[in-house]
Amino acid sequence: MYLYQLAIGDWWNDLKDTFTLNFIDDDRYMLLVKGLGNTFLVTLGATILGILLGVIVALVRSTYDKTALGMRPGAGKVVLSLLNKIASLYLTVIRGTPVLVQLMIAYFVIFVSIAQHKTIVAIIAFGINSGAYVAEIIRSGIMSIDPGQFEAGRSLGFNYAQTMLYIIIPQALKNVLPALANEFIVLIKETSVSCYIGLHDLTKGGEIIRSRTYTAFMPLLAVALIYLVIVMFFTRLVNILERRLRNSER
Amino acid sequence: MSADPIISVNKLKKYYNRGAIKALDGVSLDISKGEVVVIIGPSGSGKSTLLRSLNLLEIPTSGSILFEGNDITSRGTDINKLRQKMGMVFQHFNLFPHLTIMDNMTLGPRKLLGIPRAEAEENARRLLAKVALEDRAGAYPSQLSGGQKQRIAIVRALAMKPDVLLFDEPTSALDPEMVGEVLDVMKDLAREGMTMVVVTHEMGFAREVGHRIIFMDEGRKIAEGTPEEIFEHTENERLKTFLAKVL
Repeated sequence: MYLYQLAIGDWWNDLKDTFTLNFIDDDRYMLLVKGLGNTFLVTLGATILGILLGVIVALVRSTYDKTALGMRPGAGKVVLSLLNKIASLYLTVIRGTPVLVQLMIAYFVIFVSIAQHKTIVAIIAFGINSGAYVAEIIRSGIMSIDPGQFEAGRSLGFNYAQTMLYIIIPQALKNVLPALANEFIVLIKETSVSCYIGLHDLTKGGEIIRSRTYTAFMPLLAVALIYLVIVMFFTRLVNILERRLRNSER
Repeated sequence: MSADPIISVNKLKKYYNRGAIKALDGVSLDISKGEVVVIIGPSGSGKSTLLRSLNLLEIPTSGSILFEGNDITSRGTDINKLRQKMGMVFQHFNLFPHLTIMDNMTLGPRKLLGIPRAEAEENARRLLAKVALEDRAGAYPSQLSGGQKQRIAIVRALAMKPDVLLFDEPTSALDPEMVGEVLDVMKDLAREGMTMVVVTHEMGFAREVGHRIIFMDEGRKIAEGTPEEIFEHTENERLKTFLAKVL
């Protein structure tokens, strides 16, 4: 009995010691806090860039799908099909290669001149990557709107762009808002690969601690736990959002 | 009724699949100001295609459509400007579900005609009162019945102060007990002198309100005349067969 208590006590004391070593000594928890800040910064920046790119690409693609067949031959049609080709190429390349490879190409090849701004490079790389997925989400939203809505807008006298802006896009965005929020959640986790370019994000924060204390268990578990809590929090928010959106339609 | 037609359709053709399907096969038609023209015919006869061509929702293969003297099928025409003068009411209402009734009715006048919000809303309220729905201004389309939606769709079109109203089977998607309330609104409009082109299966309405009935089949205009001529004294065999089925 006494031995058993001793064993438990030892284990508990060990745990306390490694915890202190990994997080309290030298204020090492700050490495995680700083990393978390960068993770949020990159995710948020990439989300905004991704939505901007995604909306543009989705508009090009759905405009082409909806109107190219009925268009009269001319400069407008040439420009539109060229834009559509570029958009398709972008989607194929970005969705056909791993995000880590894209990030490294961005960092080591394209943006060498601003390589000291790792956060900016990461935002651009993840933004371009996310844009491809967002584009397809928004395009599916646009295509899901009843064609009658489009005709009603046009019949009032709105041109194509106005009909999109006032009538189609607001409905499409509302329909795909949960999917967009999920893309944001996926992005939070995906940015963890940015420690490959040495960006001090949450994962890297754990890695720094591990390299200083030579213990893997505590820092990695802490990193995993923080990701999990964040993702669970945002997933809950998305669920609430989804319920609200459903109710507003009734 | 003035002599000059407000809409003049000349030899309109609409082919699909390189002419394999002839939705419209050379239709000519004049519509005068203040006239109520009702287009009837079996489904697939091209009556909806004809109506939708009038504001270029369908792009005809050949032929011309003059609206207030402008050829709407020609390249130089600003179709968006002309559509502001041609209201359209759809079978499935097509109200904007993300906007309130008030916003549905004021979006066009505010953004396209540049009417200030207060004035547009006052105008909308007057129109809502006309269809006895002034208390639903703040509601969303999903909160209305089918008949109410269609009445809103009509006044939404009216809010643009159009010269012509096009109706594409406005009562076909309604429950039978709601057909009357929509037809009543249309009758009032006809009485006020609105120029209307109506595609419908409501023969009672055609007979009572129509100034002129056009019977279409297989993309052609088969018969044309006053309700009396069409419904009482026709010699046309195809029209007789059609009427025997629907009356």
